[in-house]
Amino acid sequence: MHNLVNFLTAGILATAPLLFGVLGEILTEKSGNLNLGVEGMMFMGGIGGLLGAYYYGLSTDTPSTFVAVLLAILCSMLCAGFGAFLFSVLTITLRANQNVTGLALTIFGVGFANFFGEAVAASDPNRVLAVSESVRNAFNGPIFPPAMVQIPFLGKLLFSHNFMVYLSILLALVLSLFLYHSRKGLNLRAVGENPATADAAGVNVTLYKYVATCLGGAISGLGGLYLVMNAACGVGGVWVHNCIDGYGWLAVALVIFSVWSPSRAVLCSLVFGGLSVMRYYYPVSWIPSTIYDIIPYLTTAVVLIAVSIRNSRQSQPPESLGLAYFREER
Amino acid sequence: MKKRILALLLALVMGLALAACGGDKSDTPATGEGSETKAIAAGDLKIGLILIGDEADAYNKNHVEGIKAAMQNLGIAESQLQIKANVAENADCEAAITELAEAGCQVIFSNSFGHEQYMVKVAPDYPQVQFCAATGFVSASDELDNTHNYFARIYEARYLSGVVAGLKTQTNKLGYVAAKPYAEVISGYTAFYLGAKSVNPNVEMYVNYTNEWSDPAKEATNAKALIDRGCDVVSQHSDTSAPATTAQENGAFAVGYNADMIPAAPKAALVSARINWGVYYEYALGCMISGEAIPQDWCEGLAEDAVYLSDLNEAIVAPGTIDAVEKAKVGLMDGTIQVFQGPLYDTNGTVVVEDGKAYQENEKSSAPAWDKIIKGITVLS
Repeated sequence: MHNLVNFLTAGILATAPLLFGVLGEILTEKSGNLNLGVEGMMFMGGIGGLLGAYYYGLSTDTPSTFVAVLLAILCSMLCAGFGAFLFSVLTITLRANQNVTGLALTIFGVGFANFFGEAVAASDPNRVLAVSESVRNAFNGPIFPPAMVQIPFLGKLLFSHNFMVYLSILLALVLSLFLYHSRKGLNLRAVGENPATADAAGVNVTLYKYVATCLGGAISGLGGLYLVMNAACGVGGVWVHNCIDGYGWLAVALVIFSVWSPSRAVLCSLVFGGLSVMRYYYPVSWIPSTIYDIIPYLTTAVVLIAVSIRNSRQSQPPESLGLAYFREER
Repeated sequence: MKKRILALLLALVMGLALAACGGDKSDTPATGEGSETKAIAAGDLKIGLILIGDEADAYNKNHVEGIKAAMQNLGIAESQLQIKANVAENADCEAAITELAEAGCQVIFSNSFGHEQYMVKVAPDYPQVQFCAATGFVSASDELDNTHNYFARIYEARYLSGVVAGLKTQTNKLGYVAAKPYAEVISGYTAFYLGAKSVNPNVEMYVNYTNEWSDPAKEATNAKALIDRGCDVVSQHSDTSAPATTAQENGAFAVGYNADMIPAAPKAALVSARINWGVYYEYALGCMISGEAIPQDWCEGLAEDAVYLSDLNEAIVAPGTIDAVEKAKVGLMDGTIQVFQGPLYDTNGTVVVEDGKAYQENEKSSAPAWDKIIKGITVLS
């Protein structure tokens, strides 16, 4: 039972970075933009947040942890959002190919983050780009009072996590409400399905696409921040070369796995996150660990096949996904 | 138009085929006679270095710093060194080695296990050039005189770092984030465990593989799982500081490898086992200058300063650690302590090293060869 609780807790901790990435990409894709640069934006969000907290710590003698955390989140979203903004200018205004631009953004973001991470680390007297202990604790410690955390079984499972975990789930709920229960969400989905129709109905297609893509990128960037700050499945508040390796691509795949639904994204990320840490908690001596490692990917593939066989109308991508909208061609 | 393209393509194919024939001719078998080194003045020496990554990670950085220090000591200018960074263990490596040899390097070093096969492929074409592969193992058995292997007795430093961990642990459970189930890794964690056991007979150790040399997220998850299992000191054979920071945030302690982890995790990092590659580079380059032959296999340890412990984090190590480490170090250097001292049993209770005997690591080759899991160590997955 003890091991089960530990496993589920670790699984939840491993879920959050994926969930941020997936939610950001869902918002982006609902506007009809396929941004393959999630990996790059996660890197940019990670380094942006880390640098924000790091420079704030250097700039003042009595740093406030709250301000440092707030700055980390803000800088992370701004930095990743900037990456998404570049993508938007190229694909929405200049109507460049979305796949190519997204791949370029990934290459750019990875280089951007590693460059600044290592350049700043080299200038630090300790040769390491690290945030203060209080900031690390804020990103890793539970937000609920210890009495709640100590409730047997449920306490650790529900109340022991860091604030980013709850933030990611809250974000999924908000995004779900926005997309399916608000006028603006309806407009956004219309833009993704058929921009010409939305345009004719008086929706500002370009504005919707810009806002959704930039905000989506900013949310994805939080996943990078989580990996940089978290100490259970990330690097714990220090810049490590290539530390977000691969998570962005997983997020892109999980968007399809969760069929563009924010609420389903929570479940899918949880399954994936849980399966990816399972090997360390439930080792099976006769399964080679390299085989065990592919189980989450295998599960994703099987579910995708099952979903595509069912072929329901709800589980389709936005119809104009990946296509640039050119008003004159209506 | 189509015909023209076809003609062009055919011409191209023919040209390539001719080029391939040309290449075959130079593939004359090595005779070994040509590899007698002659003395090269320090100012004329050209050195090539192939790196698996770049200076961003500790492993490659240690190599670069080592070779630069060696060059400085020998009065070789930095411009005489050519570095090829981020060379993967594939055909790119062959191209990189050939380029360096063509550029006139008289000695070429590579720092990853998988580079060696390409060195052995290129070496016959350049009998005058010395090829040295770190962590490799075929030099002693191949027919070539100009290939060499080098490594360090890292298990000695691992043993010492194990002493630090064995004294620190309260739960008597150590964790080990291991990269891949290779002899190099197994030899390292066995030495670490035996070091801990030498000061704490009740200690046991859990090992989890990440199956990657460098994957920070996996290393962190792995370390977290070990700590969840009750391990309060975590060591690693992997490239990043993630296990150390994970230990810090979860109230455990960490013993590092390759890099000093104290800046990344000041409240958890106890010490790190490290290799000083500069010792070999200075020796090998010295051989080039004096005209002496470089040995086929080179492996030195504490006695030659080729391996060492980084500075202890004195604020958090257990009391008495400094003395215990010093005692073990003296014992290892004068031979009164053998790392793989019998009796050692495997997990089934079968004797693998008999009482009164000791297994000599690195006796046959510079690459570690110990690959048995001994009693007290549990490999989880």
